[in-house]
Amino acid sequence: MIWRVAPWMSVLAVVVAWQVLAASGAVTPFMLPGPGVVAERIWTDLASGELAQNLSRTLYRALSGFAIAAAAGIGLGVLIARSRAARWLFDPLISVGFPMPKIAFLPIITLWLGFYDVAKISMIVFDSIFPVVTATVAGAIGVERELLWSARSVGASERETLREVVLPAALPEILTGLQVALPIALIVCIVTEMKMGGIGLGGAMITASRFADSPGVFAGIVEIAIAGYVLVKLMALARRRLLVWHREALAPTTV
Amino acid sequence: MSGAAQISIQGVSHTYRPPRGREVLALDDVSLDIAAREFVALLGPSGCGKSTLLYLLGGFLPTERGAIRVEGVPVVGPGPDRGIVFQHFALFPWKTVRGNVLYGLGKQQLERGERERRAQTYIDLVGLTGFEESYPAQLSGGMKQRAALARTLAIDPKILLMDEPFGALDAQTRSLMQSELLAIWQRSPKTVLFVTHDVQEAVLLAQRVVVMSARPGRVKAVVQTGVDRTDPHILKSKAFVEKVDEVWGLVRDEALKAQAERGR
Amino acid sequence: MRRVLRYLPIALVAAAWEATVRLGWISPEVLPPPTEVLAAGWKLMRAGDLWANTAASLWRAGAGLALAVVVGSALGVLMAWWRPVDALVSPLVEMLYPMPKSALIPITVLWLGFGDGSKILLIFLGCMLPVTIGAYNGARSSEQTLVWSARSLGASRIGVLRDVVLPSALPELANGVRTALALSFVLLVSSELIVARSGLGYLIGFLGEGGVYDAMFAVVLIVAFLGFFADRAYQAAVKRVLAWRE
Repeated sequence: MIWRVAPWMSVLAVVVAWQVLAASGAVTPFMLPGPGVVAERIWTDLASGELAQNLSRTLYRALSGFAIAAAAGIGLGVLIARSRAARWLFDPLISVGFPMPKIAFLPIITLWLGFYDVAKISMIVFDSIFPVVTATVAGAIGVERELLWSARSVGASERETLREVVLPAALPEILTGLQVALPIALIVCIVTEMKMGGIGLGGAMITASRFADSPGVFAGIVEIAIAGYVLVKLMALARRRLLVWHREALAPTTV
Repeated sequence: MSGAAQISIQGVSHTYRPPRGREVLALDDVSLDIAAREFVALLGPSGCGKSTLLYLLGGFLPTERGAIRVEGVPVVGPGPDRGIVFQHFALFPWKTVRGNVLYGLGKQQLERGERERRAQTYIDLVGLTGFEESYPAQLSGGMKQRAALARTLAIDPKILLMDEPFGALDAQTRSLMQSELLAIWQRSPKTVLFVTHDVQEAVLLAQRVVVMSARPGRVKAVVQTGVDRTDPHILKSKAFVEKVDEVWGLVRDEALKAQAERGR
Repeated sequence: MRRVLRYLPIALVAAAWEATVRLGWISPEVLPPPTEVLAAGWKLMRAGDLWANTAASLWRAGAGLALAVVVGSALGVLMAWWRPVDALVSPLVEMLYPMPKSALIPITVLWLGFGDGSKILLIFLGCMLPVTIGAYNGARSSEQTLVWSARSLGASRIGVLRDVVLPSALPELANGVRTALALSFVLLVSSELIVARSGLGYLIGFLGEGGVYDAMFAVVLIVAFLGFFADRAYQAAVKRVLAWRE
């Protein structure tokens, strides 16, 4: 028998189980508000514009941080790949920094940069840049030398080779790094917002929890989950578009 | 014609220094002269340094000991006068066939229309008409090699460096490509330095075969092939078979030596 | 020796740090020099606050992670082994993957308050995902030929599971656990920074609010390096256990 279950069916199953559990009386409505209550709350927030305000602020911070981390990370990664000195300097810093819970540095960043967006975005950049750099270095170093030599052989300069061969060749790995960095940017954004409060999905959720507003908290979880899912899907789509030449392996036209 | 060689390799030695491990002497005092438009094969067992010599001539590796000159000028780096074709094609996977061929043309000072025209000419020449918009991942091995060839020929280099270009192809495709390469060379003769470990291929394609010793590579012998390439049954002709036998005799000891060294 | 030299740039950064403050380029308020940070850290250790909070943090992370590893591996293997479970749960895993696990902080607090329970639950829920994925991928990757060999030698289904699938799954599972380990630290620190009354994250916030920046820096670095050393120790341990891989 073929067990093919469409994603929405899984979600439906979860919602149904949720409803059953909530209605059963085994847990209080406070601990587990029913799906209907949560959906209603999301709707209210949407209608009042509050959801749009929080969501847009969160996305603004997360995506700004991500974009900066991407640009700086790729630049730094290429530098490290090409310069032995840079590699010697940065390799231990990155390898030590990678497994550190960098969120621990948030109070320091707050001390230096205050409580506004600059601080939040800086924290996001600090956390997200690591996977971008490691992926870029791996991709740039792994470029086959025959590709580089072919370019030089037809007259490309070192600079041109970097731009026209190294970067495109490293693109699959770089994109993988970016795909890892994006969820990190979102997570860090939410945490900083929770710490500092105010506008934003994280801030709204922590406020809700302070007021023991459990439908608000659950609504926040659903909203963030959907935002995260959409972003990741968009990123995957972008990857497919950019790497169309990679995927052509699936459609041979041999003679 | 002064008779001076187009390519002059004098007393060249090369040592590989891997970041970890011992140094390896790849080439030991190699000297060789190649005339313009000559087709020369570099033949030898694996590890004999024949590819290394090619890379030195191409300017991809620095010449540390000895001198390599092209038309009197020392080689200091890669350049469009010495085109290269690799065993694994080295096509830019993110560019189409046309994109790949246009890449080198783009580095020459040509105007757009001329670039496109030349690209198409060479794509047609190698028999890839109709596949201009295909990506390398969509092509078979033989087609990829044709595309690589077109890319290199399009910039019209004086010298063609070929590093076991048909090594990654199946026997039938290889055979086809050999005939086509000969045809192209006969139509627009260039100097060709062709690296291979296949004795038959060397004798079939080249006017002169340079047999190299096992590592460290030295020139063991140079053989004029003198076979009639217009003969459609050349592979069965007595002259050809005898020549292959002769060259194989020279290579065999080196091949055994190379194998023993690998086992160590 | 070479190992030590490799980390030299870090010493250089520390030296540069000390220098910029001593030279007066940066105020020691904002960036206490390493020497003062070390002194403050030492004082904290002597005073005992550090140990109590460290113990609380490690207990939370450890418990949450252990639960996640046990439940997550079981779930992952189950998914790989039984298609209906896979069909139902896979889409959920895929959907929950991009969700920021830290979004669960408020709900765990709502349920279990500011104490240990909420942190353990948070870490358990958050870390389950990478472990499950690792176990799942690992279990699926066990080669068909190995399974068939075992069956033909007379192994039962359960036997195959125990003797072939589980060992083959270990490398990927180990990878998943490594990710979970790092995540556990992140979730621990995040939740302790925001909603706690004890623990290292709480201590950082407490010192920061009190203006005791040199001690705050000390604890931040301690936490950061704890995460680093945990990862290194884990990798060393895994290497030992998976020595047969080479």
